[in-house]
Formats: sequence, structure tokens, C-alpha cells
Amino acid sequence: MELAAWLILLLPLISSGLIGIGAFRSKSVSAGFSISAVMGSFILSLAMIANVETLHTSVNWLSIEGLNFDIGLQIDKLSKLMLCVVTGVGSLIHVFSLGYMKDDKDFSRYFGFLSLFIFSMLGIVLADNFVMMFIFWELVGVSSYLLIGFWFEKPSAADAAKKAFLTNRVGDFGFLIGILMVWMLFNTVSFSELQYILQKEDAVMLSGLAGFLIFCGAMGKSAQAPLHVWLPDAMEGPTPVSALIHAATMVAAGVYMLCRVFFLIEGTWAMEVIAWIGGVTALMAALMAVQQDDIKRILAYSTLSQLGYMVMVVGLGGDHDEHYAITGVSGTDAAMFHLTTHAFFKAMLFLGAGSVIYACHHEQDIWKMGGLRRRMPRTYWTFLIGTLALCGVPLFSGFFSKEAILVVAFKESIPLFLIAFAVAILTTFYMTRLFIVAFNGDARSDHSKHAKESPNVMTLPLLFLAVPSVIAGYFNMHEPDPIILLASIIAVVVGALVSRSLYQNADKDPLPERFGFIAKAMNQRFWFDELYQWLIENLQENLAKITDSADRWLIAGMLVRGAHGTTELFGRVLRLAQTGNLQTYAFWFTAGLVVVLIYALR
Amino acid sequence: MLPLMASIVVSLIPGSQTKAIRNVTLVASGISAALSLVAFCSFQFDDGLQFETKWVWVESLGLNFHLGADGINIGIIFMAALVSFSAVCCANDISHRIKEFYILLNIMIGGVLGAFASMDVFFFYFFHELALVPTFIMIGVWGRGETRNYAAYKITLYLSLGALLALIGLIGVYVQVDADSFSIPDLITKVKTQSIDESAQQWIFPLLMFGFGILVSLWPFHTWAPLGYGTAPTATAMLHAGVLKKFGLYGLIRIAIPMAPIGAQYWLGILAWLALANLLFCGLVAVRQKDLNLLIGNSSVAHMGFIFLGIASLNIIGLTGAVLVMIAHGLLAALAFGLSGHLYQQNGSLDMSNMGGLLRKMPLAGTALLMAMMAGCGLPGFANFAGEITIFFAAWSAGFKVITVIAAWSALVIGGLYMLRAIRNVLHGPQRDDWENSKDTSPLVSTAFGLLLALLLVFGFAPSLLTKGIEIEVKKIVHLVNSEIGESKQLDVVVR
Repeated sequence: MELAAWLILLLPLISSGLIGIGAFRSKSVSAGFSISAVMGSFILSLAMIANVETLHTSVNWLSIEGLNFDIGLQIDKLSKLMLCVVTGVGSLIHVFSLGYMKDDKDFSRYFGFLSLFIFSMLGIVLADNFVMMFIFWELVGVSSYLLIGFWFEKPSAADAAKKAFLTNRVGDFGFLIGILMVWMLFNTVSFSELQYILQKEDAVMLSGLAGFLIFCGAMGKSAQAPLHVWLPDAMEGPTPVSALIHAATMVAAGVYMLCRVFFLIEGTWAMEVIAWIGGVTALMAALMAVQQDDIKRILAYSTLSQLGYMVMVVGLGGDHDEHYAITGVSGTDAAMFHLTTHAFFKAMLFLGAGSVIYACHHEQDIWKMGGLRRRMPRTYWTFLIGTLALCGVPLFSGFFSKEAILVVAFKESIPLFLIAFAVAILTTFYMTRLFIVAFNGDARSDHSKHAKESPNVMTLPLLFLAVPSVIAGYFNMHEPDPIILLASIIAVVVGALVSRSLYQNADKDPLPERFGFIAKAMNQRFWFDELYQWLIENLQENLAKITDSADRWLIAGMLVRGAHGTTELFGRVLRLAQTGNLQTYAFWFTAGLVVVLIYALR
Repeated sequence: MLPLMASIVVSLIPGSQTKAIRNVTLVASGISAALSLVAFCSFQFDDGLQFETKWVWVESLGLNFHLGADGINIGIIFMAALVSFSAVCCANDISHRIKEFYILLNIMIGGVLGAFASMDVFFFYFFHELALVPTFIMIGVWGRGETRNYAAYKITLYLSLGALLALIGLIGVYVQVDADSFSIPDLITKVKTQSIDESAQQWIFPLLMFGFGILVSLWPFHTWAPLGYGTAPTATAMLHAGVLKKFGLYGLIRIAIPMAPIGAQYWLGILAWLALANLLFCGLVAVRQKDLNLLIGNSSVAHMGFIFLGIASLNIIGLTGAVLVMIAHGLLAALAFGLSGHLYQQNGSLDMSNMGGLLRKMPLAGTALLMAMMAGCGLPGFANFAGEITIFFAAWSAGFKVITVIAAWSALVIGGLYMLRAIRNVLHGPQRDDWENSKDTSPLVSTAFGLLLALLLVFGFAPSLLTKGIEIEVKKIVHLVNSEIGESKQLDVVVR
């Protein structure tokens, strides 16, 4: 079984290596490698669930006296679930890409990168220590950089890739310092050893800070405020990439990591910070989503908002009792539950959006779509299921996981519960808006008038994803809380009705006229990007400018040339003395003698 | 270990037959690279000094021609031989006075390999000078652009000054130890029984530290480096930035710290701050560069900060990490300068504002550059990451907490910033017309780049190939230092 565990991790790496070395010459071979690798991992992950309770195996990567880094695989309940999400959704997205990227000239490179990404992501999932997680954390960062910037000749894609990578790097900086701090406090980076130590000892003062710093890494990857700015821009990548990375896997890595190291932050002040950052992100992103017109950006902001939900509920903690099934729901369980259902329906929504974009010849503005119901029935119905699941309509998967979150929030913190409730209303509102505008009514452009249903290779993954989007909730049911049940139904109904009354048969968005400034603020994403741009230009660039000129003028100029200049000056002065005239020498000789004599005789 | 001495002789013989000269040099450096690979593979980690060659030269002074390899320098020699080979592969851009260039190149390669293999202070220093002199001439004669004379002038002055300071320090060591031999192992055994007295250590160490430091572009004595590399011919830049520059660091670890451990205690705190200045200051300077070569040069100076920081932390982890980064950076710097040399050859300019979209135009070189840039900003999988993260842990445990935090910021964020900017400007974006006629790398050059990249990846995936040997030797040095300092200030590796 250990071999199988290693294979899960290594298959995608082998595939991407093979594609890199030579298989890129043939489109079908590289796609074949990539898809069989991810499917192989998926089958092996399923085998893990069936056969293995827990498993731990490791090899040494780097060991110096006092420092020991292992590459180890830890398979337990948490990682098994995540493995299936990553490889399962990943497989379907690989298949979908076959159709979506069919005509791209870099088809093979695309699949090579995709395999690399799956490898890095599985590394995070399987990691048994902080350093290994950091290694794969960085690798996920770079493979997402490569995929976002896949169409690198387009300046906006190249810029978006750069932005994503750098924003993640800021988070990773905190992560690294956090790891160093954990190592200093507990002298180990292994998860199991840490857990063992923490069970015996009380939390140390600094472990809250360490926990918060590690959370910074999650803030980058899971795009929590204030490091959320990269995710909407990342939509510049191919749409299947957005579905894979920016909906189902990479952005979930942050939440997964928090659940993995929950023992570290449990009971420290970091929890509260995490909960509030999550809540604020959820609310802010939901507000931004209301005023976007690009179909992928709406989904991107919705992803942000749902991730905020998950982070918030981890921070709230909930009931970590052994018998949580009876007494309540634990925060990490609720987060992982929502992560799983969200991965299915959000991936489906993104792929559905991809199908629409493909059919409308890369038109992404929802106001230029419309009337797609009859022309693209499969996409229409699956998108509808996704929307219902995301809104949390009863009996769909999203309903159960969202309810779990609301239960925890209601118990732990009323203000955050109110935020979560508002977010639920907003979610239904913007998703209904998206759905009505893009799919219903009449076609508003030529592209949507002539849209045709996408080929089977693209619609079949949609249908496959529709199944878990509906039923995934039933695997983790618990007794419903009547108040929460009522609240979530109210949220859905209110959001849907308001949105319907505004957008049914609308040709343009009525909100900007009614709420001028607020709508504009939402549309402009509360000017976060502008603020950062300003900060970068004024702080970073000026700092760099100052050091550069210091380097050029102060060190290279004044000091070096100064040293050179003074040497030369001395030379000139001495040259004056050294005239070659015997009388002058005699004069200096006498003068010197006089000085010495005066000094000696005194 | 030194078939290259022979190749110098060989390349003196043919006159104007450029092809023959090239091939002879290529074969010679290829053989030496292959031999070093054999040596590296057959090296026994726990056997101390191996592959020894020893000839008595001047008996009365205790001068011996003594070559050998232990855990520290076996990796460096392997790296040096490989970089030399790829530098020769990339030397095709020289178009005039070819014979002279290759003679100098051969001398330089011989000197580089000799310096790192020497177990005798005299020859250690002699080989370094042997490699340094051709560098000056090569920059002056075959360099690029208008500033080459100024650059050659500046680099000569700086490096001579550094070498001079180090020489004074070395003579100081020799006199103070009252040695009858120049052999490094002998000196160390001598110091073990009877150490140099404290006051002498306090002036010997800074002499060595700044002397060797200038050779490695320690801040604020770094301005020669970007300028020098910017104007140097490709092969020279690859060899100097990749290998020769590491001589100073090697000297610090091999000689300065074991000889003057108490002096090191006083001065390494300062070294740590200077290392930070290297990382932060030169990183920020690199952000502002418009010329690709200057950017790589500045980033290479910034990377020296890691190694200094590792040395300054003076524990097993730090010194091991420092040697690891030395090797990794040697491969990386050679790769980066080789690539920028290739780009320069295509269009005669490295102004990044006029570049763009080269990944499409030259997929091989573009991919190699992309990977080099990624390795440069510390991506796991490349050897640089393994060394850098080790050094972070070492510096943190040595108590340089603030420095570590700022250094991590410089490495992760600022390093990422300039590297990604370079990728964005050079490789990504729409293609420019000026680069219409540019070609991808030839098979020979591609092989060289491929070898360098492969080695970076191998050591990145399995750094223990190197660290096992390094650790054993480094332990001896650290134990030496610790026993000197005694109980007064134990360098606790495990901070709890």
C-alpha cells in the first residue's frame, strides 16, 4: 500500500516529466499521459479509501545535525477526502480540457503544466510536515503561475500570472517565518510530533503568533483579504484552469492546511483573527460579485466569498468534541464538508461557464449572452444545478454544508452569524442575476444567437459533476437545527425574489442608477487594486529607486570614485613637491630638519 | 584532477586554426568534467581527504604542491569542472584573437580548479591569482560595450585589493601560528594544540573577512560585480560568477574560521548585517535594472548574502547550507550568464524594455531562462532552495532573528519581484520586431545548459548527495570553534 501512496503522488510528476522531455511533439500522447496519470491517482485514492485506515511513510530529503527534513506521506481521514476531491475533480477537468483546448497550438504544454499542478497539489495534501508542505506550497504557486500565464503573449495574462505569484509570495513569507517559529518553539516540523507535544503541554505564548503567521500562507493561497486581489485576475488563464485551480483545488489548499494544523491554532488568539478575516472576506467578495459583468469574474468573487466562509468556520472552532455528531458540528469538519461540496459544484459552474464561453466564441460579458436555454440544454441544466447548490437550496449539496457552517457560527459568534446570513442572501442574489441574465431572455448578441451546444467531451464532465453536486450532502448529514433551517431558506427565497424582480427581462443592470456610488464601489472592487498599485508605486518603487541611486552615486560614485579621486589628488600634491629641481629638494630637506630640531630641542 | 594544465600546453601549439583550438579546449574541459564526475561518484563520505597528490616544492619553507578533496570541496570541484565545460561550450561568441582568448580561458579554468583542490595555502592563493589575471585581460580585450575599460580597471583594483588584504591576513596566520608548513591540514592541527592569541585573532579575522569578502562582492564592496559581469565575455562571466567568486567564501570557511575562531566570534555579527545588506540592498537595486545582465549581476550579488549569512551563523547547519548554496549558485550563475550571453549574441542588446515574447521565438533558451529565474527566486526542486531554507533555519537558530525575517522577505518577495519582472519583460508579452531574426540555442550550447539545469535539479531533489560529505567536514570546523570558545558562549544548534 505504501507503494500505491507514492504512486498517487508521483504519477502526475512522471507524466509531466515525460511530456517535458519529448512527448510534447504529439498532442494525443501527451494528453494521454496526463489523463491516465491523474485517473490512475484517482483510482489509487479510491483504493486507499477502501483499504487503508491510516498510513504513514517517509524518506529523508535533507538531514543535517539538528535539522531533519523528510518527505513523508500521511494518509488519514482528512487527506483521503482531499485526495479524492483533487484527483476526481481533476480527472474530469482534464477530460473537459481535451475539448476546450483542442485548437490551441500549445496543447501539449498545457497538459504538461496541468500534470505538474496536480503533482504539487497532491504533495500539499499528503505532506506530513511543515517543510514538505512549504515545498509543495511553492510548487503549487509556480504551477498556477505557469497556467495563469499560459497565453503568455497576452500582456494581461502575463501580468495576472505575475500578480498571483507575488501575492502568494507575500503570504508564503509569513508561512516561512511561522515555520521557523514553530521549529524554534517545539524543535520539530512534523505534524504528528507537534500534535503529540501539544497534547502534553499547554499552549506556549508564542504559538498564537506562529499560528497566525502560518495562516498568512493560507491567506495567500486561499485568497483571503487583504491578499485576495490575485484571484479575480487569475481568470485570465484558460477556463478549465480556473475551474481546477481557482475553484476546486489550489484555493482550497489554504483551508485544508488550516484543518491539518488546527491543533496548533486551537485555543489561541489566532482563531479569532482567522474567523474575522474569513467573515470579512466572505462579505466583501459577495458584495463585489453583485456588480461584476464578466461571467468568470462573478464566479471568481463567489469563490472568494465561499472560501471566506470556510476560513471563518475554521476560526470559529465549533465543537471539537469526540461525539460531535450528537452535540454539534466542529469547525474543521464543516469547513472540509463545504470545501468538498463547493469543489464539485464550483468546478461544474466554471466548466459550464467555459462551455458557454466556448460556444459564444470567447465572449465573457453576461450582458452579451442570453437565450441560451434552448441552444445549450445540457450546459443550461447543469449550470442550473450548480447555481441551486451554490445558493444552498434545500436538498442540494450546498444546502447541507452551508447549514453546517451556519450552525457553528450561530453557536460561537452572533455577529459573524449575521454576516454569514447576509452573505447567503447576497450569494443567491448574484447567482440568480448571473443565471437570469446569461441564460434566460432573448439573445443580446450575434455570438449568443448562434451558440451551439459544446461537444460531448465537454458536456459529459458537466453531467458527471452534477451528480455529486446534488447528492454529496447526504453523506454527512446531521440533525438539522430548526432556526438555522429557517434562516437558510429565508436567505434563499429573499435573494432569489429580489434578484428576479430586478433582472427578469432587463437589458442592462438597474443597480448603478439606483445606488450610484455604492454600486460603483462594488464594481471597482472597493479600489483594493488601485490602493496596492499606489503602494507599490510609491513605496516599493521609491525604495528601489533610492537604493539604486545610492548604489550608483553614493557607493559606486562617492566612495569608490572618491577613493580614486583622493588618491589622484594626493598624487597631484606629491607631484608638486617632486619637481625634480634640486634646490626645491634642498629647501624641503632644510625645512624638515628645522622642524625636527625644534621638536627635539623643546 | 588537473588534465587542464595539459590543455594549456596543447592550445599553445596550433596557430590560426580556430576550430582545432576550440575542439581541443572542449575535449580537455569535457574530460576534466567527466573525471570530476567519476571522482564525485567514487568519493567516500567519511574518509576525509582523498585523491591526494603531494609533491615537495620548497622544503625549507614547507611549500608543497598538495592537491586533494574532502567533503567540502569535492562538490565544488565537480561543479567547477562542469561549469568550465559549459563555459567552453558557450565561448563561440568570440570572433577576434581567438587563440589568445582560448589560451587565457584554459589558464583560467586551470587556476579555478587548482584553487579549490589545493590543500596548501600558498598554492591555494597562487591558483586564484592565476585565474584572476586572465579575467582582467579578457574583460578588457573581449568585453562588451564602451565601459569595458572602466570595468576591467575597476574589477582589477577591487579584486587586487581584496586579494592583498587576504594575503596580509594569510601571512599573519602563518607568522602567528609559527608554522613550518603551508599545508592547511597541518596548520589546523597546529592551531588545535596552540591557538593564535586573542588580540592577534582580532585583527587577522577582519583582514581575511574583508579581503575574501571583497572577492565575493560583500556589501558595500560589491559595485565591481554587476558592472564587471555586464561587460565580460560570456565564458568569463560564467566562470567568474559561477566558480572563481566562490574562492573567497571557500577561504572564509576553510581558513579564516578555523584559524581565528575567537576573532570570528567578534566579527560574524557584523558579517550577518552586511549579508543582509547584500540581500536586501542589492535585491532592491536589481528591481530597478533595465539591462538583463545587470539584473542577473545584482541578483547574483544578492545571493551571496545567503552564503555570508550561513557562514555568519557559524553552526553546522549554516555552514553546510552555505556550501550547498555555493554549489547551487555556481551552477545557476553560469546558466544565467550563459543564457544572457546567448541573447546578447542574437541582437547585441539586453535592454529589457525592447524585449518580449522570446519564449515563443526560442523555446529551448526561453525555457532554460524561465527555469533559471525560478531557481533564482528559490523555487523548491532546485538546489538553491535546499541551501536557502537550510540557511534560514541556521540563522534563526543562531539568534539572528530580525535578520532572518528581513532576509526571508528579500528572498521571497523582492527576489520574486525582480525575477518575475524579468520573465514578464523578456519571455512573456508580445514579440518585438528587433528580435525577428534571433535563433534558438545550438545543440552544443543547449547541452551545456541542459547539463547545468539537470545538476541543479538533481541536487535540488537529493541535496543529501552533497550535504552528507559537507556536514562531516563542517562538523570538524565547528567543533574546533566550539572547543576554542569553550563554555563561555556555546553555540546551541538546538534552541529550545
